[in-house]
Amino acid sequence: MRRSMSILTGLAAILAILPFTGFPASYEALLYLIFLWTTLAVSWNILSGFSGYFSFGHGAFFGIGMYTTGYLSTKMGLPFLATLPIAGLLSAAFAALIGAIAFRVHSVRGELFSLLTLAATFVIATIILNTSIDGGSGIYMSAVTVPSLAPTPSGTLYLLALLVTFATLLIALLVYHSRFGTGLFAIHDDEDAAEVMGVPTFRFKLAALVISSALAGVIGGVNALFVSYLTTVETFNVLTPLTVVLMAVLGGTRHWAGPAIGATAITLLLYSFTGGDSAVVGKIVMGVLLIAVILFMPNGLLGRLAVRRNRPRSADIAAVPERRAVVTQGSGEAAVLLRTSKLAKSFNGIHALRGVDVEVRRGEILGLLGPNGSGKSTFINVVSGHYLATAGTAVLRRDRISTLPAHRVARCGVSRTYQIPRPFSGLTVLENVALTAMFGVAQLGRAEAEAEAWKWLGFTGLAQHAAALPDALNLHQRKFLEFARALASGADLLMLDEVLSGLTPSEIDNAVEMIRRIRDQGTTIIFVEHVMRAVHALCDRVVVFNRGEVLASGAPGEVLSRPEVITAYLGRKDQTVDTAPASAPGEIEASLAA
Amino acid sequence: MLELRSIRVAYGAATALWDVSLVLENGGLLCVVGPNSAGKSTLINTIAGLNRLVSGQMLFDGKDMSAVRPHRFCQEGIAIVPESRRLFTKMTVRENLELGAYAPTARPYRQRSLDYVLDLFPALAQKMEQVSGALSGGQQQMVAIGRALMARPRLLLMDEPSLGLAPAIVNDMFAAIRRIHASGTAVLLVEQNVSMALEIAQRAAVLEEGRIVASGEANELLSRPEIVDAYLGSSEPVHG
Amino acid sequence: MDFPPIALLGQAVVNGIFAGAVYALLGLGLSLSWGLLRQINLSVFAIALSSGYLTYEMSSRGFDILLALLILPPLFFGLGVALQWGLERFKVASFNSLLITFGLTIIVEAVLQLIWTADVRRVESHYSDIKLRFADLFFPAPELIALALAVAVSLALWQVSRRTDIGKAMRAAAEDPAMAAAFGIDQNGLALILGGVDAAVAALGGIGIALVYTLAPSQIYGWLGVVFACVMLGGLARPLGPLIAGCAIGIVEALTMTVASPSWAPLVSFSLLLVVLLARPGRA
Repeated sequence: MRRSMSILTGLAAILAILPFTGFPASYEALLYLIFLWTTLAVSWNILSGFSGYFSFGHGAFFGIGMYTTGYLSTKMGLPFLATLPIAGLLSAAFAALIGAIAFRVHSVRGELFSLLTLAATFVIATIILNTSIDGGSGIYMSAVTVPSLAPTPSGTLYLLALLVTFATLLIALLVYHSRFGTGLFAIHDDEDAAEVMGVPTFRFKLAALVISSALAGVIGGVNALFVSYLTTVETFNVLTPLTVVLMAVLGGTRHWAGPAIGATAITLLLYSFTGGDSAVVGKIVMGVLLIAVILFMPNGLLGRLAVRRNRPRSADIAAVPERRAVVTQGSGEAAVLLRTSKLAKSFNGIHALRGVDVEVRRGEILGLLGPNGSGKSTFINVVSGHYLATAGTAVLRRDRISTLPAHRVARCGVSRTYQIPRPFSGLTVLENVALTAMFGVAQLGRAEAEAEAWKWLGFTGLAQHAAALPDALNLHQRKFLEFARALASGADLLMLDEVLSGLTPSEIDNAVEMIRRIRDQGTTIIFVEHVMRAVHALCDRVVVFNRGEVLASGAPGEVLSRPEVITAYLGRKDQTVDTAPASAPGEIEASLAA
Repeated sequence: MLELRSIRVAYGAATALWDVSLVLENGGLLCVVGPNSAGKSTLINTIAGLNRLVSGQMLFDGKDMSAVRPHRFCQEGIAIVPESRRLFTKMTVRENLELGAYAPTARPYRQRSLDYVLDLFPALAQKMEQVSGALSGGQQQMVAIGRALMARPRLLLMDEPSLGLAPAIVNDMFAAIRRIHASGTAVLLVEQNVSMALEIAQRAAVLEEGRIVASGEANELLSRPEIVDAYLGSSEPVHG
Repeated sequence: MDFPPIALLGQAVVNGIFAGAVYALLGLGLSLSWGLLRQINLSVFAIALSSGYLTYEMSSRGFDILLALLILPPLFFGLGVALQWGLERFKVASFNSLLITFGLTIIVEAVLQLIWTADVRRVESHYSDIKLRFADLFFPAPELIALALAVAVSLALWQVSRRTDIGKAMRAAAEDPAMAAAFGIDQNGLALILGGVDAAVAALGGIGIALVYTLAPSQIYGWLGVVFACVMLGGLARPLGPLIAGCAIGIVEALTMTVASPSWAPLVSFSLLLVVLLARPGRA
């Protein structure tokens, strides 16, 4: 990151000197345009590229900035420079309002958010047009004094634009390398999983939107003076946000500098097509480019570069981390870590959980069993905060977690794995694990989180894959990645949801061994599983669910031989079955049905 | 009629079925039992054409089905009653049933098939114009079976038909399955409710962790310890 | 502010309905492909305007507009099928379909400008002179034709969706593609037909625009927002939705224009849209 910063600063310094050297005004204007579009595209990307929420409202924030400066400097007589921060603030305020409404609604994703922001643009444009801000006559900027920061007025605007662009790129770079940026990328890949791992999704999305729009507002203010005559039609033109999208997508939305490359390329392209019919041809080229990029280069020009960021420096593989004293298992006096009381969850009249009372003791491995549809996964989803309970409570130590949003539950020390692993596909293995360390119980900074991640990668045997993307791992390794993630969060309670499904017998043995080690170093485990030999091998106690209720609980061998449990699984009404150890493998004929 | 030769099916990185081989003769009734995530649904969906084979072969009446596109399986004579029904919930019972006969081989016989279904499930006659999403579980199951029968299948696939149903309804449903089988349709049934399933099946197979671990005559399988083992495991320690 | 006379308000309502008819024709294709195929196909706007310009071209060469009704929809049906085929061939995901069809729209708009220039065009036909009159209210013939088209197409699609096998098959495939396939429904083939139908309806919309409004290439974007509002208010994949929502929006807009000032009109539909999007987000 330091290298990028020095390159940026160097470049900015060189460019800043140009107006003082008698540089031709037409090139100055071209560079100004490149700065303008770079700022717009890079700032747009901070929300939309990083988090995946494609906004079509960037034109609105840009326009608000332009009109703020236009109005304040002409009708209110404020000095031009003073209007710029106000332009940024006002844009940010509008963005905050839109975001506060849109992001609160759970189902506003993808296309809906895009259309909402597009609609907001039209509303704002109409309001400005109809009130005394513009009133239909437009705003003339010719009377506004341009501050003399450079030999010519155009030079001043050039410098101002350069300054804003530099700031924008710097902010994008900082966000990209920060905790905040990692959180945004996680939201991009899997927002629900990110929330469950502790990322405060609402806050982060809102923050990204506000930063993005503030920057657009400031450059809008500068641009007001550049165009010197403002009309709503030109300012709130729908082509603006769409051009921004094209530039960012072309350059690569996952890299902080991608949009800058795209903006430069397209601005140069359009500039060479100015005037009359050429302008039209330029549009055709742009349309073709957009289509070509989406079809053949969806990651943009810098797409491949983005993957290689954060190359791990040294492999600091410590021995098994000592986080807490080894806890004795299963004794009746062991402290209760989690207690649920009449916990219930219904979906549209279907009662998935009908009031369950479950107690999980510190340091134990509690098996959660039951036939299909008995409510086990629902239980995990409710405890982790993914679903809100319909009734009842869940208390962790002394905190009531059943009313908390998922990311707060993660902070209290609850984590879970998924039956089908859900790693963040755009983050490396190391970053996946570091993320939970950043947003889990300890809320570590980026550097410490990565150190912590290394430890857990060593523990789970994944250290040599640290720089790889999750897609490169096989299923077994991905499941171990889930373990590493959960452990790095610092959680006391780990919920494993059918973690052994899909594994070969020897992989299962491996996983069982790992689970034992996890418990031995102090984590309490809730273990939902169907592979019974693992249940017998690992669980201190088991709880059996059936049709959303607790059917039985106690030691595995004893519970699993109870008639009502057997009936629940097998449907048998009255049979005591001999559960003596199974016959040796050689006696089982896997014969073909004749 | 149906022959699976060492088929392997995977979802991305996760192999769900390992070298499964199975034979079902014309007009037979085979029941596949096994615990959760043993691969039962995967097996049924694969036979219905909804999953691709990673390796192995599936033959239906001697025809290699790997070249057949998913939406043509129905024409070949295979129909499915999927897990948790999966009706077209926004459409009425009548529309669901009529869609069952969408394939060109079934369409000419639509009215006749409808009569057959209503004869099997008389309770549906009053519900024909109701939106299927509003029906109870048992009623939905009847519609799902009816929809499959409308396709005039020679092989009927059923994935956990008793799931989520009250015991009395389960009895009625299995009675209907017996009648369907008696009329000449082959049935391949996947079930968690072992006792009921084994009561109507002629042959059975036990699926565990993606492999067939036992198979044979149904009533003989009933008493074998492998069944209990597969579901409830043993206290034998895990190697490693 | 003087409250306008009843006759003026009445005419505003009538005009609003006429506007709604055009919104409906433009919105139908969008609504169907979004609801049934999960694709946001912005190309309906490009198709509509192209069709409008071709209508203009035909009428300025002396052909009757009604001839356009016979020629253009089938022509664009073919184009729609080709476009849909392209989207499927490249496996374009839902959000990317928005971007790609937008790219196509940019290209088409530019081509239209190259051919017909940015000048505003108006279709002159003998229909423009015919005006029916009923109780102080005027019903010009071109507008009536557009309304008739919108109503006819909406009703036809509604009946096809409800009663025919193909309509039911499409609805089933939209809800559960895998199950639909299990019963012989080929979603890919149906998608091609739907793509063609959408384009044909958009072409009719273009003829409607040519009849009722003036033509200019930049107009493509002007319709974007209102039609989206119309589609979302009317509910995705509901054949009668765009017509009802379109008329509602049209009437409110027209009344706003009459009672307040014309430039406030856009605010109406978008505010409605914002409210609906947030109050009933489950729609899409």
